[in-house]
Amino acid sequence: MKIPIRMISIATTFFWFFLIVFYVSAVYSMKDVQFDFEEPQTMLTSRNQMLFCLPIKIDNKGYYNIGSFNVTTKISDKEGFPITQASTFIPVIERGRQTTVTHNVTINIDDLFQNSQDYLFNDMELEVHETVGMKLAEVIPIQASTNFSMPWGAPLYNFTLGEIEYVICNLTHVTVTIPISFENHAFFNLTGSLRMCMYNSTSVLVGEGQTRIEVPQNTFYQEHVELTVPSMGITEDGYFEMYFSTPFFNSGPTVISYD
Amino acid sequence: MTEEKKDSKRKQQIISKLLKATIKAVIFYGIYFVLSMFLTPISEIVPSFQQTVEIFVIVYISLMIIGELTRGTVFQHFFNTAKVFFVMLYLIFSLKRGIINIPFQNISLMIDLRLFMAIAMLLSLLGLAKCMLQAINYLNEKAEEAHFSSL
Repeated sequence: MKIPIRMISIATTFFWFFLIVFYVSAVYSMKDVQFDFEEPQTMLTSRNQMLFCLPIKIDNKGYYNIGSFNVTTKISDKEGFPITQASTFIPVIERGRQTTVTHNVTINIDDLFQNSQDYLFNDMELEVHETVGMKLAEVIPIQASTNFSMPWGAPLYNFTLGEIEYVICNLTHVTVTIPISFENHAFFNLTGSLRMCMYNSTSVLVGEGQTRIEVPQNTFYQEHVELTVPSMGITEDGYFEMYFSTPFFNSGPTVISYD
Repeated sequence: MTEEKKDSKRKQQIISKLLKATIKAVIFYGIYFVLSMFLTPISEIVPSFQQTVEIFVIVYISLMIIGELTRGTVFQHFFNTAKVFFVMLYLIFSLKRGIINIPFQNISLMIDLRLFMAIAMLLSLLGLAKCMLQAINYLNEKAEEAHFSSL
């Protein structure tokens, strides 16, 4: 019985040694792997989607290959409603190699504004959940995750209608001048048109007008829209319906009442 | 004269056991010392890591020394078995089912050591089987000795 015992003893010692040396060296070699997350860039795609690009440079100077490298980004609003999700996957990063990958996250602005007009008018914070996972030596899965918030700048921040002016144009019609102002806090220049429909207190469309808007980012916009409406249809109060049309999004109707 | 010889033989046996235990402990500690240098980056991230490993090394070396000192008796097999059980239980409790979550600054780090744990458990079971075989072999030899001396 001594020979089998000796054989088991040798086998267990060998496997324990191999196991511990492999795991310790795999973890130790991580100190020679460099992850360089470069400055993220924001741009617009040809489909008018917002694109975040995060270039990641991985220099694997460790002893082993890195397997299943993946970066996942989930963006949600404050209430946890998911806005977008994107993943970047590299099957193998060979040892001694430098790999550069761009992690792209796209947000469809049109869909975003269709879901909630808050994004259009109010600045807010978006929650970003970032996860980086990989397999050390293609065997040991590790994952690092973090949460941070990202500011969202509204393109029509502080949108307000000023004092409405009525100027009699002829016996039957009145020219209504509506001053509008807002600040473009978005990361893109806002170009497009604003269509306003005026309804009286009985919800009858009395007139409509359109103006072109061209607002560079982080600038204040102040203009007015002129409508010619029949004087018979004007009431003391009512509401406006506004439709925004830009290359990035179409929004409306946004209802603002007047009196 | 025979008593003196027996005494000196016993002394020699004790000295050899002590020497063997010391050498084994030094080698084991040496291996730990070398490996701990490689694991220094982990200790910087997880402050309790070094303490946990040190406790393991202290208990393991103590059981190893006691096992070596009781060599040639049935207690050796008890301590060897205890050593294997200690390794198994220690792995179960310290590795928390094989998935370790480490909060580091604003980042949550997760390491999946289930494969390591599975292999370590299998090796521990193999070690346990070895201890059992050794104990059976020891009792077998003792029974044989008793049988032949009675003849």
